Amino acid sequence: MTEQSSLMLDPGHAFGLRNRTHPFTRENFHLIDQYDFATIDLEPFKCLVIQEFCDQEFLMQQQDRIKEFLHQGKIVIFCGHLFLNLLPGTFPFVPKTVNSFRDYFISKESDHEIFEGVLAEEMTFNKGVAGFFARGTHPHAEEVEVLLCLPGGMPTTYIDRLSTNGTIFVHAGKDLFNYHAQNKSTNRIPTQLLQWVHDEYDRIQGEETNA
Amino acid sequence: MRKIGVIYSGIASHYRTFKESKYREYVSEYFYFPDFEHASLTDVDVLIVPSQLNENLLKQAKAKIQQFTKDGGIVVAFGPQPWEWIPNQDWEERETNFWWWLEENPKSGLHLNKPSHDLFTYISLEDATWHQHGVFWPIQEAEKLITTEDGGAVFYIDKTSTKGTWIVTTLDPDYHFGSYFMPATERFLNGFFPWLTHGKI
Repeated sequence: MTEQSSLMLDPGHAFGLRNRTHPFTRENFHLIDQYDFATIDLEPFKCLVIQEFCDQEFLMQQQDRIKEFLHQGKIVIFCGHLFLNLLPGTFPFVPKTVNSFRDYFISKESDHEIFEGVLAEEMTFNKGVAGFFARGTHPHAEEVEVLLCLPGGMPTTYIDRLSTNGTIFVHAGKDLFNYHAQNKSTNRIPTQLLQWVHDEYDRIQGEETNA
Repeated sequence: MRKIGVIYSGIASHYRTFKESKYREYVSEYFYFPDFEHASLTDVDVLIVPSQLNENLLKQAKAKIQQFTKDGGIVVAFGPQPWEWIPNQDWEERETNFWWWLEENPKSGLHLNKPSHDLFTYISLEDATWHQHGVFWPIQEAEKLITTEDGGAVFYIDKTSTKGTWIVTTLDPDYHFGSYFMPATERFLNGFFPWLTHGKI
């Protein structure tokens, strides 16, 4: 993938300051203020990244542009809690009922490249505290590829290749491109997720060429 | 009874805290942030400015929010403030220790500086205790209600900088409650909204 072929919408929030200037973000994403999405030419981009703190009311107004982007066989990555049906095939976030910290335990459903070498317990715990990674689910169609779950088989993270011509990646938690400098295996997630974008886009384009 | 307006960002946690949860009964008006410059604030007594708002829109809104307090209004500001928009704002960002309660002899580092203040008939220090992202160093005339051990303000009220009132806290219960994390934030909001509506400010 050429540099900055992914478009990342910047919510412009205080927690995002560090990631806004992080070399990984600068080198790999075309970062724009979220409200500039209404006017930017989407043609050069293969992937759209919607972060946890984005204005979903605004993005709902832009729903047709997002759908068209996916219709062209491109990729949308969403991290956070959806309360509006912004993306085809998605439904609003449902929190997990939490009685103990064990309810936050993350498990891998497959050996997917995005989480290769990432330890489940290191996704679950941050400095001994559980719950930062994900706390619920987005209901979805049965046919999606589930990558990570909370206890009771509650999916937090999945890939949907059926709702559109493109691919929708949904993670019901913190922004996965921002797991930097934690001194643990979760540091692998941003580069592996970016590599997956590259691989997934090639796969979609290959399918379209062969069709 | 004070009428409360909230700047509404379209962020998921704010949707839950202010529009979907039990606290919506305390809110009389929502001002969608991209349209804020055209909003009329004349029917509200209190304006809540949530944490984590868009930098560009916040800077654009600064004059209008400040005018609201010059007209006698009450502004509540939640969370870390890396951009200057509050009168006499002096924000110091600090590393967030969210695991303090797992340490030996755990100490939150918070101190109740004005225990007789009416706010504390609605909430306790424990209800305001989860973690903080930094401190403020307000002007001397401001009332520091909750501080860190070194005197940095985690919660202060400034009635001097403008004709109105600034209730400023580094705490961000609007985010944590709205993202289903940190149960103390619910206890905080359970007391904070009634205090804002009926309490002595």
